[in-house]
Amino acid sequence: MSAFTDFWDAQLIWRDPLLASVISGGLLGFLGVYVVLRRIVFVSAALTQLSTLGIIVALLVEERLGVEVEHAGVQLLVALAFSAGGALLLGTLGTGRRLPAEAGVGMTYVLAGALVILGANKLIHVAHDLNSLIFGNAVAVPVQDVVILAVAAVVVGLVHTVFRKEVVFVSFDRETAEAMGMNASLWSGVLYFTIGLAIPVAARVVGALPVFAFLTVPAAAALTASSRLKTAFAISTVLGAIAAGAGYLASWTLQVPTGATMVTAAGLLFVGAVLVRVVRE
Amino acid sequence: MAPLIRLDNVTIGYGRVALLSGVSLSVEPDDFLAIVGPNGGGKTTLLRALLGTLQPLSGRREQPGPLTVGYVPQRDHVDVLWPLTTGDVVAMGRIPARGAGRRLLPEDERCARAALDRAGLGELWERPFRDLSGGQRQRTLIARALAAEPQLLALDEPTNGMDPAAELSAMDLLRELHGSGQIAVVMISHRLEAVANYAKRLAFVDKEQALWRVGPLPEMLRPEELSRLYGREVLVREEGGRRFVYPVGGGSP
Repeated sequence: MSAFTDFWDAQLIWRDPLLASVISGGLLGFLGVYVVLRRIVFVSAALTQLSTLGIIVALLVEERLGVEVEHAGVQLLVALAFSAGGALLLGTLGTGRRLPAEAGVGMTYVLAGALVILGANKLIHVAHDLNSLIFGNAVAVPVQDVVILAVAAVVVGLVHTVFRKEVVFVSFDRETAEAMGMNASLWSGVLYFTIGLAIPVAARVVGALPVFAFLTVPAAAALTASSRLKTAFAISTVLGAIAAGAGYLASWTLQVPTGATMVTAAGLLFVGAVLVRVVRE
Repeated sequence: MAPLIRLDNVTIGYGRVALLSGVSLSVEPDDFLAIVGPNGGGKTTLLRALLGTLQPLSGRREQPGPLTVGYVPQRDHVDVLWPLTTGDVVAMGRIPARGAGRRLLPEDERCARAALDRAGLGELWERPFRDLSGGQRQRTLIARALAAEPQLLALDEPTNGMDPAAELSAMDLLRELHGSGQIAVVMISHRLEAVANYAKRLAFVDKEQALWRVGPLPEMLRPEELSRLYGREVLVREEGGRRFVYPVGGGSP
């Protein structure tokens, strides 16, 4: 009982990080349905790396050139520019005559990853933060980050509520949507842009590894458990939020790394979804 | 009667690579045009240029007025990973007309259900699309195109991979749709026999031979025209009111 009392008394410390984690998990869980169904799982991995690279570049600019970018909003804007720009670029990659689109995605992922390591190697003052940045550590989340995250979630939610049918049609059957007069590039761009918006905002809170996990695992669980698209979106959103929240609380209780615990929680939920499917069949 | 679409001395291709030049073609409101040629011969590229989703490298595409297109892709181009019901898929045909950001209305569902009925699958509205047979999926995609209430129905290899009975059934459905309403049909097939009993006009396309020919069906089914397309002697016979196309030496063109 006293353990719970201690935990409850410390709510000022964990309330905002928990809230931010839950919003991140839900937001990314929702978008993950598109990521899995459009078979662009590695696009999300590449965008997560690009977003991290954006923050590294912002920090390098500050440290080496003396340009003030310490403000969280500026760093986030740079990360957003990298992520959203990468999203729009990767979204337009088609299968060429010589190389498949996957080659471009793979190269973006490894090059961005390599540049993150090289950039981090040149940073003197913030090396201790980089582990959190990449692997996630939602221990201390400023209120403004929670607000930014909530605003991003509302924007993404609104866009996908209003334009759901267009984005679903173009994602499901681009060829037909285009032939029937729809602007397939525009609606694909809308989807990629919202993914590119969500990634850096969430990565700032939970780190790159959980972001990649939340864009993949809850959706995989939801699509395993459900045969309806609307239900899959709802389940994936809820599972993402639960994995993030439960992972955060478990990491607090067990005193283990937060990001890795969240990913493990998501993995356990996927196992649960598989079991539900097996039992049902 | 003004044509729905007209290509005037068009060169089609991708990037800077021209596949076919000198293509002139009009699609009339009561047309049933079959575009025939070998696999990889440029048929889909031509259809894309016709529909305006691919800009011609040169020449002109004209569309005198607004045009509602119903499109049926090759059924293996549609991803069955998506957890959609047959009704979800058919209702997509209403989206382009409804406009961006506007919800589908009850009348859209009525129209989509009527289209599925017309395709003979009315009772499968709630069935997962991925659980349908190949022939049922093809009919569902045709229903989706019909749900748009199109002036032009464009189909890319609609009978590809079907068994003979399903192929006949799908082609009979197309003839019925064409005959019962004001719908022009443009379809692609690599199998001449699949369209020889249905189309009003035939177009032969083969980029390897730089071949482009279009004309009324009887004219295009002459042995000398077919021999030019297939590079071998081809016979056309009528038995029991149906045309059969035989390459000399057996096989199917």
